[in-house]
Amino acid sequence: MQHDNIAIEVTDLRKEFKVSLSGKGFLGKLQALFHRSNKVITAVNDIDFKIRRGEFVGYVGENGAGKSTTIKMLTGILVPTSGTAAVNGIVPYKDRKKNAAKIGVVFGQRTQLWWDLPVRESFDLLRVIFRVSRSDFDRQMEKLEKALGLRPLLEMPVRKLSLGQRMRCDIAAALIHNPPVLFLDEPTIGLDVLAKQSVRNFLSEINRTVGTTIILTTHDMNDIEQLCKRLIILEEGKIMFDGETELLKQKFIHEKVIEVEFYENDCVMQEISGVTVVREQGCKKWLTFDKDNFGIGDVIGTIASQYKIKDISVKEPSVESIIRNIYDNRIKLSTPSNKSFTK
Amino acid sequence: MDTIRIYLTLFATSIKARMEYKASFLFYIFAILTFYIGQIGLLFVLLNRFHQIKGWTMGEMVFLYSLHAFAYGFTNLIFSQLVNFDKMIVDGEFDRVLVRPLSPLGQVIFSKFEISTAAHLIIGFTALYFGTHLAGIEWTLRKILLFPVIVGGAVLIAGGIRLVVTAVAFWTLRNRSLVHTVIFSTKEFINYPVNIYNLGMQFFLTFIFPIAFINFYPAHFFLDRSGEGLLHPALEMGTPIVGIIVFIVSTFTWRVGVNHYQSTGS
Repeated sequence: MQHDNIAIEVTDLRKEFKVSLSGKGFLGKLQALFHRSNKVITAVNDIDFKIRRGEFVGYVGENGAGKSTTIKMLTGILVPTSGTAAVNGIVPYKDRKKNAAKIGVVFGQRTQLWWDLPVRESFDLLRVIFRVSRSDFDRQMEKLEKALGLRPLLEMPVRKLSLGQRMRCDIAAALIHNPPVLFLDEPTIGLDVLAKQSVRNFLSEINRTVGTTIILTTHDMNDIEQLCKRLIILEEGKIMFDGETELLKQKFIHEKVIEVEFYENDCVMQEISGVTVVREQGCKKWLTFDKDNFGIGDVIGTIASQYKIKDISVKEPSVESIIRNIYDNRIKLSTPSNKSFTK
Repeated sequence: MDTIRIYLTLFATSIKARMEYKASFLFYIFAILTFYIGQIGLLFVLLNRFHQIKGWTMGEMVFLYSLHAFAYGFTNLIFSQLVNFDKMIVDGEFDRVLVRPLSPLGQVIFSKFEISTAAHLIIGFTALYFGTHLAGIEWTLRKILLFPVIVGGAVLIAGGIRLVVTAVAFWTLRNRSLVHTVIFSTKEFINYPVNIYNLGMQFFLTFIFPIAFINFYPAHFFLDRSGEGLLHPALEMGTPIVGIIVFIVSTFTWRVGVNHYQSTGS
């Protein structure tokens, strides 16, 4: 087997949840006590992928697409309904302890640290739990302290940290044992721009210098554009795209987006045939158009003749707009076989 | 060896965190002492009226009580975190337990210690002292050596039962009321000799929900009693064996539960 350079391998992975439906109102609830009607929800629907060592993969999808459920199966939290997964050659939900020693996990919504203790003590405890030798720990901590700017935070109790500070500490906590694979579930959620940037810089650095394999779920497409060479897009539990982020962009590069900002009294735009509003934000609108029948000049001309325009520019589509279009079924993707991307 | 050191570190940390709230710590001890004094008082009143209950004298009852207090004290000390376990499930806090290279059960148990349960042990010793005097227990070497074994078995029974009902939370999410009901009933049923109940109940408390082994059966051995009670005296040494069986069943249930854990959304 050539497992050596494969960090994660997922085959036909599936997770179903049973959700009990309780009726409406008191009588419905009472009825549900005696007669349970269960509905099976397939959160992850027979997915396959392979991730090589050193890859930085974005794992995206709308809420409920199955991102977190996949991560939880790969970290040993959930047991799959069927299919298999291996991380570092270990089956995570069978060999939890062995798997835990070789992965780092950060959940953006939840801290791994001890709420009432100073940050330093949390780190010390994790050092003991992960059986890291004092010398390895000191070396690693020195690196993390410097890269994440932790020094002023170490004596503070975790509950007093800001979200951004806590996230930096949580990332450090996940790396104390220098794991070859790092899972990040929405690590930038709720952070301000500066905090996001410092987290991104750090992640990109450890991926580059240490070669840590990183899988990141996020709703922030800037994370993806700046960090992830490869992108896996999930919809309703199925993989609908798996390939290079750059490739996705190139595929839709001809799909220009016009960004128009109207004056306030002209904010409402009538429908123009062949033009679709992809997104709007106040008086700013993003438009795409039917390339076969209209030239870009025609579209701009039509708009300019009918409305007062404050600002206009032509943009290449962002990853976000591409993904949005995929979800809205404006773009039909020929589902690529993931094998062609894993080489 | 390494693992023990890790658990000791977790243990020390949990105590450190607990001591942050000193007032509630002292208040808890006070509440327990008051509760027990009330219970023993009630027992005195009852026995002053009736002198004995189903052939059990005051001193014997006090001794029965002391066995229970020891078992309960140690069980609370070790398994106190299980009472709030459903919160860990509902909040999804159990996630982080599963991504660490340590046994999940070990982590849950060592994440919190109720040192204040030491109060139960004070009562245990007091009751043991009075029970010995009133009932005239003769402490032979055999009895002294077997006492900790019996208490250990009783702790396995009480702790195992607690673990089973705790594990129910993996399926039902919230189960605090179940846990409280079971812990409470364990306490109340065996404050009195089990032979005061009818045969069906005795059978239930011996074979189905075997809390009679916590104090009733082993008390016969220490009190040199014989005769009454279901299948006695064959059962008076059953406590450690029943304890081990209950504990094996309960850890198995727990393990099945962990694999059934559904985490929470997001």
